[in-house]
Amino acid sequence: MKSNKAMRLFLLFLMSGCLVSLMLVCGCGTGNQALKKEGPVYLADASEGFPPPEGQSDADFLEFGFEEDTAVEKSSPSVNVSDPLGPWNRMMFKVNDKLYLWVLKPVATGYKKVVPEIARTGLRNFFNNVSTPVRLANCVLQGKGEKACHEIGRFLVNSTIGFLGLGDPASSQFNMKSSDEDLGQTLAVYGAGNGFYIVWPMVGPSTFRDTLGTGGEYFFDPVNFAEVPYEIMYGCTALEKMNSLSFRLGDYESLKNAAIDPYDAFRDFYIQYREKKVKE
Amino acid sequence: MKRYIALILMVFCVNLAFAEDKNPMDSLKEPIDRVIDILKDPKFEDSAKKEKQAELIWEIIEDVFDFKKIGELTLGNFRKDFSEEQLDEFTEEFADLLGNTYLKKIQGEYENEKVDYLSQKIGSGANSDKAMVETVIIREGVGIPVIYTMWKNKGVWRIYDVKVEGVSLVRNYRNQFQKILIDKKPDDLIEKIRRKNENRGKGQGEGEIE
Repeated sequence: MKSNKAMRLFLLFLMSGCLVSLMLVCGCGTGNQALKKEGPVYLADASEGFPPPEGQSDADFLEFGFEEDTAVEKSSPSVNVSDPLGPWNRMMFKVNDKLYLWVLKPVATGYKKVVPEIARTGLRNFFNNVSTPVRLANCVLQGKGEKACHEIGRFLVNSTIGFLGLGDPASSQFNMKSSDEDLGQTLAVYGAGNGFYIVWPMVGPSTFRDTLGTGGEYFFDPVNFAEVPYEIMYGCTALEKMNSLSFRLGDYESLKNAAIDPYDAFRDFYIQYREKKVKE
Repeated sequence: MKRYIALILMVFCVNLAFAEDKNPMDSLKEPIDRVIDILKDPKFEDSAKKEKQAELIWEIIEDVFDFKKIGELTLGNFRKDFSEEQLDEFTEEFADLLGNTYLKKIQGEYENEKVDYLSQKIGSGANSDKAMVETVIIREGVGIPVIYTMWKNKGVWRIYDVKVEGVSLVRNYRNQFQKILIDKKPDDLIEKIRRKNENRGKGQGEGEIE
């Protein structure tokens, strides 16, 4: 069980790093202001007959000025995250590309053929239910009371009526939707920026902030503290990843085929996707 | 005869009035429904008919997606460097790129996905010609949020950006194109897209990363 201990130590290290950066951020006095998101640009004369704009949605279609595009400076490309590890990241992107095409894709394709959709959906629900504590903790940390209540409600309903979480009656019958909150987003809510972009082998695109988040989440997940042999834990993680991939087969290829520079495209996908998650 | 003319006129007028009154959501839903009908149609199941099916779908898509606008927006300020001919050429290649990849995808992978239309918002004042329609594609029980931004040109609502899971198509391509146009000419970008289109014969996603 030596590796077990080393693993925990490493994660503890990650977590402390995470806490330090959190304190740094809060200590700068930006913590509170950062909680308030930038106000959207409302239209001066919002006519009636429309629901008042919620959140930032109204600004969304004003994003692109039609007549003159002042938002874009010619001299600087609109790269929205710093990428000092560019060469390493590009290499890892290539490694992950081959890993996906040669290993993960064939395995998940076979899995999808053998395992019927109903079983895959059940498994997906099950894993989602097991990871409730992580989402719940992050809802609470972000001060999202309603979402937190939904997570608790979902867990209770799905673990019982939903037959150990295999079903999802909470969303179909009680309209309690799962909220995809994680520690990376919590850090963002407390004012932490992306940091830099990093592509991890196997794991894929991330940022400094989201990496800290993923590492720190280990401590939110009670499963990690149960006395489960590591072989089983890894097996479960692999199953979860393969199962979730079986729902997304083909997406990666299309996105890659449609891109002129796939590396740049995927970096932007990741940043935009995370931006939206943080906003929600 | 007179009666006929009157009838035709009437139908014509009704059609016109109808076109005027269409709201953004209807302008979106109607073509998407038609595309789904074609995808479901068993007469295209035969692989020899796939080309015909793609053609039919593409016609509908070209109607509702304003590729000229999308292309211009992805160029941003660099649009000024493009002559009219270059802009046309660029638009054509860019539309081809999007069409080839995503059309193949929906053709190859359609598995009874459903589209839920959640809401529409139309801008006010100077932006009353812009709208946002929120939809969700339900695929194997998972909802994928898709937001269309549309604008009204000559009385017709057409799409000028799509956001899938929060990722804007225009923003993503703008990022890629700008990096190229910083130190290359418009023709180089057009050439790059054309090369990509010509190479698409290779297997799905097998292409090399530069």
